[in-house]
Amino acid sequence: MIEVREITRTFAGRGGLVRRGGVRALRGVSFTIPDHGAVSLIGESGCGKTTLGRILCGLEDFDGGDLVVDGQSLAALKPAQRAPYFRRIQMIHQDPYSALNPTRTIGQILADPLGLRARQLGKGGGWLADRRAELLGLVGLDPDYVLPRYPHMLSGGMRQRVVIARALTVDPEVLVADEAVSMIDVSLRLGILQLLRDLRDEVGVAVLFITHDVATARYIGDGGRLHVIYRGTVIEQGSTDTIIQHPVHPYTQCLLSAIPVLRGIESPAPARLAPTAPLDDRQEPPGCLFEPRCPLAAPECAQRQPPLSQLGGTAQEHACLFPKARPVVAVPAGLAAGQGD
Amino acid sequence: MTTTVTLTPEQLERAMRRSRRRATGRWRLFVSTPGRAAACLIVVVFALMAIAGPYLYPANLPINPDNIYAPPSLAHPLGTDFEGADTLALIVTGARYVLLAAAIAAIITMVIGTAAGLAAGYYPRLAGPAIMRVTDFVLAIPGFPVLLVLSTIWQFGSLVQMGVALGVFGWGGIARAVRAQTLSLRERGFVEAARGLGLPGRRIISTELLPNIAPYIGMNLMLTLTGFIYTEVGLFFLGAVSYSSSNWGVMLNNAVFQANAVTSTRALAYLLSPLICILLITIALVTLANAVDEFFNPRLRRI
Amino acid sequence: MTRITRFSRAAGPAGQTGRAGGPAGTAVAAGRAAAPEREGQLAGAAAVQVQDLTVAFSTPAGLLPAVSHVSLDLARGQITGLVGESGSGKSTLALTLLNAVPQPGQVTSGSVHIDGVGDVLGLHGPALRRARGARIGYVFQASQNSLNPLKQVGKQLLDLGRSHGERDLRGLLSKARRLLDDMGMDAERVLASFQHELSGGMRQRVGIVFALVLNAHVLILDEPTTALDMLTQASVMEIVRKVHAEHHLTTLIISHDVGVIGDLAHRMAVMYAGRIVEEGPTEAVLAGPRHPYTRGLLAAMPRITGDAGLATPLPGRPPDLASIPRQGCVFRDRCPLAMPECEQAEPPVTVTSDGRQFACYAAAGDAA
Repeated sequence: MIEVREITRTFAGRGGLVRRGGVRALRGVSFTIPDHGAVSLIGESGCGKTTLGRILCGLEDFDGGDLVVDGQSLAALKPAQRAPYFRRIQMIHQDPYSALNPTRTIGQILADPLGLRARQLGKGGGWLADRRAELLGLVGLDPDYVLPRYPHMLSGGMRQRVVIARALTVDPEVLVADEAVSMIDVSLRLGILQLLRDLRDEVGVAVLFITHDVATARYIGDGGRLHVIYRGTVIEQGSTDTIIQHPVHPYTQCLLSAIPVLRGIESPAPARLAPTAPLDDRQEPPGCLFEPRCPLAAPECAQRQPPLSQLGGTAQEHACLFPKARPVVAVPAGLAAGQGD
Repeated sequence: MTTTVTLTPEQLERAMRRSRRRATGRWRLFVSTPGRAAACLIVVVFALMAIAGPYLYPANLPINPDNIYAPPSLAHPLGTDFEGADTLALIVTGARYVLLAAAIAAIITMVIGTAAGLAAGYYPRLAGPAIMRVTDFVLAIPGFPVLLVLSTIWQFGSLVQMGVALGVFGWGGIARAVRAQTLSLRERGFVEAARGLGLPGRRIISTELLPNIAPYIGMNLMLTLTGFIYTEVGLFFLGAVSYSSSNWGVMLNNAVFQANAVTSTRALAYLLSPLICILLITIALVTLANAVDEFFNPRLRRI
Repeated sequence: MTRITRFSRAAGPAGQTGRAGGPAGTAVAAGRAAAPEREGQLAGAAAVQVQDLTVAFSTPAGLLPAVSHVSLDLARGQITGLVGESGSGKSTLALTLLNAVPQPGQVTSGSVHIDGVGDVLGLHGPALRRARGARIGYVFQASQNSLNPLKQVGKQLLDLGRSHGERDLRGLLSKARRLLDDMGMDAERVLASFQHELSGGMRQRVGIVFALVLNAHVLILDEPTTALDMLTQASVMEIVRKVHAEHHLTTLIISHDVGVIGDLAHRMAVMYAGRIVEEGPTEAVLAGPRHPYTRGLLAAMPRITGDAGLATPLPGRPPDLASIPRQGCVFRDRCPLAMPECEQAEPPVTVTSDGRQFACYAAAGDAA
C-alpha cells in the first residue's frame, strides 16, 4: 500500500526581474493506492498530475509532505536509502517510442533488470530466460517474435507492452501509467487498457492511471478511485463511476463536458460547461483556485478557499462552496437525456 | 516485416541466424556504396603507408643534385624535390609522423572527452560542475599558439610527443558535445526507466547512454582527425617546429618557401602531392562519418 | 480572453442545440430529416472532388501505394471528417489535395478537382502557390510547432502575404486581427508574440488564422487536436465549428480520433490501409457502421457512455506500407467476417440509397 500525504512541490521561478517566485505544482495532495487497486488522476495539462507520478517513481523530489511505502516513511529516509522503495513503483511512460533503447534488442532490454532480479533472488541461469518468456506471455506478446527484434521493428502497441513487461521484471507493487495510451493507435488502445486491468487481477499489481481523458479511466477495472486535480490540489474525489455519473465540482463538470460527443449513438448533455478562460498559473487568487475560470463563480468564491469536504453522507469529496450535480456527460442515444445521471 | 506473430522453429532459427549474420554484416556498411568503398580503400592505403612506409625505403633517401624539381616521370611518378629526392618516397615515408600523431591525438581526445562528457552529463549535480570547469579551461587555451610555444621547448621530434600534446589540448569540444547529448538522453524514457529499475550507474552509462552517443562520437572522431592533420601540417608549414624528420608539413614548407611553388610552376608536383594526400584523407574520413552513424544506429541500417 | 460559458452547438449539424433537453432520439431523427433540406440549399455540389486517386511511394520493395483508388467528395459548406490510424494514408491524401505529395511519393492515377482552381494535380509553380494560399488553407499536423521560433507571429503573417504577392498588407493584418478576435484571443498580443510565448491551443488557432487569412474557402485541418488536452481540444473544436460557419467554408478534418470527427463532422470517411472503406453521414455511420473495421474501431473506443465491459479490442495491428496485402481486401487479416472471396479481389464500393458507401463483401451481402 502506498500513501501519499500532503505532498508539495514548487518549481523555482524562471528568475529574471519579471517573474519571481516559483510555480506551485503540487499544493498538498493526499491519497492512498491500495494493494491491487486502481487509482486515476485526472486533470488538464499543467495541473501537476505528471509531476506527482514522477515523484512517486523517484524521478523528481518533493518539498514537503510524505510518501509512505508499505509503512515506511520516505521523508524519514536519506535520498540514497529511498531507492529500494521507489523500485516498487514503476513508471509506464507516455511515449513508447522513447521508452525503449533503440540500440538494443527486446531480449537485451529485458535481460538487464532480470539479471539484477535473479541476483537478488539468488536464481540460476535458466531462470532469466524462463521469466522473460513468462513476462512477455503475460503482456500478450510472442517471445519468439519479439526477443530478437529492435524496438523500431514493433508497433506502438507492442512497444508499450514491452515497456509494461520491463516494469514487471522487478515485481513492482504499483504501475504508474502516465497517459500510457495517448500515443498509441486508436484500435490498439483498448488492448493496453485491458492489459492493465488484467494485470491487476493476475499479478496483483496496483495501477495509478494518470490521464486527461476521463473516459479511459473507466477501463482499468472495477473498484477504481478517481481524483480530479486542479493546480496542484485535489478538487474532487470518489469512486470512478460516481465521479463520472455524478460530478459536483464545476471543474470536473468542465472536463466531462469537453469529451466529444459521438453523434448518432450519443446525445450531448443538456448542461455542458466550459471554463471561461485558459489556465494561467501565474494568478494566485485569494479564494477558490478555479474561481477566475469558473463559469458559475459567485462573489463568495473569490473570498475564501473551499476545503475538501464530504458530500452529504457519501464517500464523495469535493472542494466547492456550491456543489451541485449537473448532467454534463453525453447520454446514449435512445435514452431520455434526463435519465442519464 | 511480417504480419504473422507466430513463427515455426525453423523460421525462428533462420531469423536468429539472419540476425547473427546482420551483426557481423554491419561492417559491410563501410563498403556498401562505391563512394564508401573508395573511402575505405584510401584510409587503408594511408594507414598501411603510415605503418610500413619507412621500411619500404632506405633511412636516407638517395638524392640527385642534377635532377632537382623534376616533373613527374616513370622513374619519379611525382617528380623530385629540391635535392632531387623522389617525392613519392617522401610522401610514403612522411605519412607516418602526420597520420600516427593525429591518430594518437584522436584516441586521447576521444577517451578523455567521452569520459568527461558522460560523467558530467549523467551526474549533473555531483561531478558535472567540476568537470565542466576543467573543460572550459581546456577550451579556453588557444591550442595552436600554445603548440607554437611548446615547440620551442620540445621540438616535437617524436610523433608521440606531438600526438599527446595535440590530444591533451583538444578534448574540450568533444566533452562539451558528449555532455549535451548525455543531458538530453538522460531525460529520455528508457534512461529514466533504467534508473527506476535500479540498474547501477556504470551499467546505464555503458549500455544505455554510450551506444546512443557512439555514432555522434564516431562522427566527431572522423572530423577531429582531419582537424589534427591540419594543425600538424600547419605547424610544420609555418616552420615553427624545427623539423628533424621528413613529413608532409615540411614538404609544403619547402615547396612554398624554397621552391617558390606558389609563383612558379617548376615545383608544382612537389607542392600538390602532400596537399592532395591531405585532401583525399579528409574526403575519405568525412564520407565514412556517415557509415559510422549507420554502423551504430539500427534504425538507419538498410542491410 | 474568451468568455464562452457554454459550448454553443449552433454551428453543429442539424440544429441539435435546443433539442438536447428533449429525448435524444428525436434530436437525431430531426437531424436526419434536416440534412437533405440543407443539401438542397447548397445545390449539393462538391467543392472538392477526389477521383480514383492513387499515390504510391517508391521503396526498396518497389512502388507501394499509400493511397489506393480513393474517391471522395467534400460537399460544399460541410465539414467532412477523415478517420484513420497511423499509416492509413490520411495525411498523404490530405497533402495530395495541395499537390504536395512528399518525396518519394508520386501520384500514379486520379484527379483532385477544386472549385475555382480546377485539377490541382495539373498545377505547377506560381499558379499552384496561388491556389494553396488563396483557395485552400491547410493547417499542418504539427502546426503547434510549425511557426518560426525566431520571428514574431505578425512578421510571419506579413511574410506570408508578401510571398503571395498580396499588395494590401494593412488589409491582411486587419483581417488577421479580426480572425484572432473572433477566436477569443488578444490580437495585438498574439501578433507581437513569439511561438514560445503561446500555448498549444493558441498556436493551433494561429495556424487556423494563417490558413484563412488569404481568404481560402477550403480548409484542411490535419490532426488539429492531437497532443492537446481535453479542455483545449474542446475549445479548438468550438473554434473550428465557428470559423467554418462564419466563413462559409468547406472543411476537411483529419483525425485518428473518432470522437473529434463524430462531434464535428457532417459526413465522415473511414480510411484503412490507403482505402476509404466506409463513407456517409456521420450520425448514420456511427449509429449503424457497415464496414467491419468501422464496427471494430467503435467497439474498441474508450467511451464515457455505454458498458465498459462490452468493449472489445480490435485484434492485430494496423498495417504499414510494406505489409498491406497486395491482393484482396486489405482488412481481411483482422476481420471477424472474412470470407474466401476476400482473399481473391478487393471488394467493390457499394453505394446505398441513403447516401452511404462501403467496400465489404459481407456488408454488401447483408444490405442486399
